[in-house]
Amino acid sequence: MSASEVVETQPAPASQVVSLRTVEKTRSPWMDAWRRLRRNRAALIGFVVISLNVLAAIFAPQIAPHSYTDQNYTALNSAPSWIIDLFPKMKPLGAEGGYVRVNDDYILGTDNLGRDLLTRIIYGARVSLSVAFIGPLVSLLVGTMFGMIAGYVGGRVDNIMMRIVDIMYAFPTLLLVILMMVFFRSSLNQSDPGTLAFRLNEIDSRTGGMIFIFIGIGLTSWMDTARLARGQVLSVRQKEYIEAANSIGADTPSIIFRHVLPNILGPIVVAESLAIPRYISFEAFLSFIGLGVNPPTPSWGSLIAEGSNAIISYPNQAIFPALALFFVMFAFNFLGDGLRDALDPRSSKEV
Amino acid sequence: MRKGFVVLLVGLLVISSVLMTTAGSTKAQEPKVLYTALLPGDVKIDPSLASDANSITMLNVLYVGLTGLHDETVAIEPGVATEWTVSDDGLVYTFTLAQGVSWVHYDAEAGEVVQVMDEAGAPLTLKAQDFVYGITRTLNPNTGSEYSSVLAPWVVNGQESLAGEAVELGVKALDDYTLEITSPQPAGFLPMLYGLWMARPQLQSVVEEFGDTWTEAANYVSYGPYALKSWEHDVEVTLIKNPFWAETMYIPQAKIDEINFIYLEEPAQLTAYEAGELDWIATVPLADLDRMRAERSDQLVIGPGQCTYYYGFNVLKDGVSNVHLRRALSMAVDRDVIVQILNAGQVPAGFFTLPALAAAPHQEDYPDLAIWSDAAKAQEEFQAYLADEGITADQVPQITLQHNTSQAHATLAQAIQQMWKDTLGLEVQITTQDFAVHQETMRFDAPQIWRLGWCFDYPDTHNFLYDVFRFVGPDSNNHTNWENPEFQALLDEAKTMTDNAARAELYAQAEHILVYEDAVMIPIYYYTSIDLTQPYVVRTYAQTGNERFEKWDLSE
Repeated sequence: MSASEVVETQPAPASQVVSLRTVEKTRSPWMDAWRRLRRNRAALIGFVVISLNVLAAIFAPQIAPHSYTDQNYTALNSAPSWIIDLFPKMKPLGAEGGYVRVNDDYILGTDNLGRDLLTRIIYGARVSLSVAFIGPLVSLLVGTMFGMIAGYVGGRVDNIMMRIVDIMYAFPTLLLVILMMVFFRSSLNQSDPGTLAFRLNEIDSRTGGMIFIFIGIGLTSWMDTARLARGQVLSVRQKEYIEAANSIGADTPSIIFRHVLPNILGPIVVAESLAIPRYISFEAFLSFIGLGVNPPTPSWGSLIAEGSNAIISYPNQAIFPALALFFVMFAFNFLGDGLRDALDPRSSKEV
Repeated sequence: MRKGFVVLLVGLLVISSVLMTTAGSTKAQEPKVLYTALLPGDVKIDPSLASDANSITMLNVLYVGLTGLHDETVAIEPGVATEWTVSDDGLVYTFTLAQGVSWVHYDAEAGEVVQVMDEAGAPLTLKAQDFVYGITRTLNPNTGSEYSSVLAPWVVNGQESLAGEAVELGVKALDDYTLEITSPQPAGFLPMLYGLWMARPQLQSVVEEFGDTWTEAANYVSYGPYALKSWEHDVEVTLIKNPFWAETMYIPQAKIDEINFIYLEEPAQLTAYEAGELDWIATVPLADLDRMRAERSDQLVIGPGQCTYYYGFNVLKDGVSNVHLRRALSMAVDRDVIVQILNAGQVPAGFFTLPALAAAPHQEDYPDLAIWSDAAKAQEEFQAYLADEGITADQVPQITLQHNTSQAHATLAQAIQQMWKDTLGLEVQITTQDFAVHQETMRFDAPQIWRLGWCFDYPDTHNFLYDVFRFVGPDSNNHTNWENPEFQALLDEAKTMTDNAARAELYAQAEHILVYEDAVMIPIYYYTSIDLTQPYVVRTYAQTGNERFEKWDLSE
């Protein structure tokens, strides 16, 4: 009796789905979120700043006034007049106690090899933004998959998988990344041609040292996402639509990807977008201590490191890359906040 | 109200008078302390093991050699040997030692320097036997002395001993205060060489009792004008005046009571100096040099240096095993630009030896002695390399340049990296290591290209060419893994001669092989010394690279 009831009621939800679809056309949850996001001014500013940075990173060769490797030996440590006016400590050559070469060809001045600082900051955005996108991507791919499988399959599998996460958690992340970078840089360097390690090293040196940063960040950042995804799956697994999908005999992968994933993605996206500033600062930190990108590839972290050595004599060399880092981290934070408000109506002020 | 005011006034008076008296009295007792800094890289104050400039400077005030170099004239002068004689064939040196030089040790509990006593309770003095022990220990292969290869050729059976054979060394104590050293060959610089740190005395009882830890402050013994007060590894070292040092004409009693060395990176050193926390620093960051010129021109002294800055090749490694590539890399380095970047009067180097040394060849006399920057020729050599190996430009193996961590090295490495890219189209990867790790890496598995500097220990060309490149292996200073019989024969021949002009002729040929024909190293520039000293420090400026702190003072 009950079985026939189920069979009979089967078409009814189908018609409901159709009617729901017509509603979706006007206002899907994602559209709704976008609408809310647009109304959030801080998030919008963040979005604009990030977009501008992405554009700058992509079109760096077109907009940068110089090449990031070109060294001008007649303009070592030079600064334009407006910077000299801005920092009274920097006295121009010729004045009493003056020591700074004045050169207005370089808008933000040059470094100790006569390389244009503005150009290097623009190119540095490439590294930071790549990390901002690759970091979450790796984290999403690995972490979400891992967490979903653990959460959906449950039982002993869940237990083992989550203990692995616990073990990974036990390592201090920063230390682990530093160890890995040292390992990559020192031992893979000496690997024999033809091996995987050798290829990796080759790709790494072609990309100016970015691949190892991605691997390092990727390997240490997926655990948070995995835990979050598992928790979300556990709460979603009990929902009626999963039961429904199960009852029509959908196989596990299709349930996970078509029914579970879309419903847990919101919180994960929010968590990841809030984690982006952490990835950026991670890269900057690695480059700052000399384990990040290879010279002469500029990254904001390595620019700040180089600039900090000259911070008393030429403050512009440290301050401008630091400002770039500051603004982008803020922008990602604002955007992440905005996304959280937009994707989670319960926390929104409107409701 | 009124009463309160009076009380306050009286109180202030009492407090201020107390403050004034204590300030006055402590000033009289307060020791004179010179605060200075070292670049990170812990020192090794074992005379057998020291090899870097910081350790050697300290050893020169802790352990005085048989002979020494005057700090300003670089002329030889007596150390703990009051006089010495040479046999007619120039082989046997007999040194007469000063008597009554006490071995001392800093007693942390008593807070003062005390004499080391023998079993009978009498002060232990420096004896010729201590020299015999010190030299024997340096030449023992188990000690692992990097400078043993410098000393070994000049002591009978030295090289055999270093090779692990049980032999009788040519060092003898004729009596407690007479030391005889026999060399297999004569040479003009031998009196200076026998005064170097690896030929200094060591106290056998202490070294054998404590083993590797005998250099710790708790165990350390010395006899020079300063003693070791404390040594916190990689943090700071403090030397304290040795009141038992018997003043000589050449080495006075120290006037400064304590010298505190703290390990700081270059920028931090300057910051501390500008804040008045350091009295003297021997390095100024590249980025701040122009500002120091403008702001502290009275404290900044730039003088001639004692070292050559160079890149070496490990000739066993991919790519740089080919001489054409090495030559191309060397010629592509624009040395004029390098000294322009460095901005402190450094001199471009086309060959290895410092031109100021005895028997050094000069460019004017030997026009094709050096390798010079030449972009067109560099490209020719690069093409020759490609043809040699039968590869195209994009099949060149990955080349790695390694330097020890420092902003100045990093700046130069990036400048040279760019020169190689512009001239040869070759992308070289740069890696960095801390100095101690860098040194170990070079001893056992040097990367393709590595950075080093070499400073003279005694002012003779032999100390550059022979002492660095004659031998090969982890216990030598030669990390190139390169050997050339012709080069070695030239050096061996020059070693037997005493006429400086004739030696210069041979050294010129050897240099040509080293930097041009085989191009195993890239000479880049000759250093200058850069000092910032507070106006109240009364000091000498050592031309030897090793400051003689016992001659310094602090004025009020």
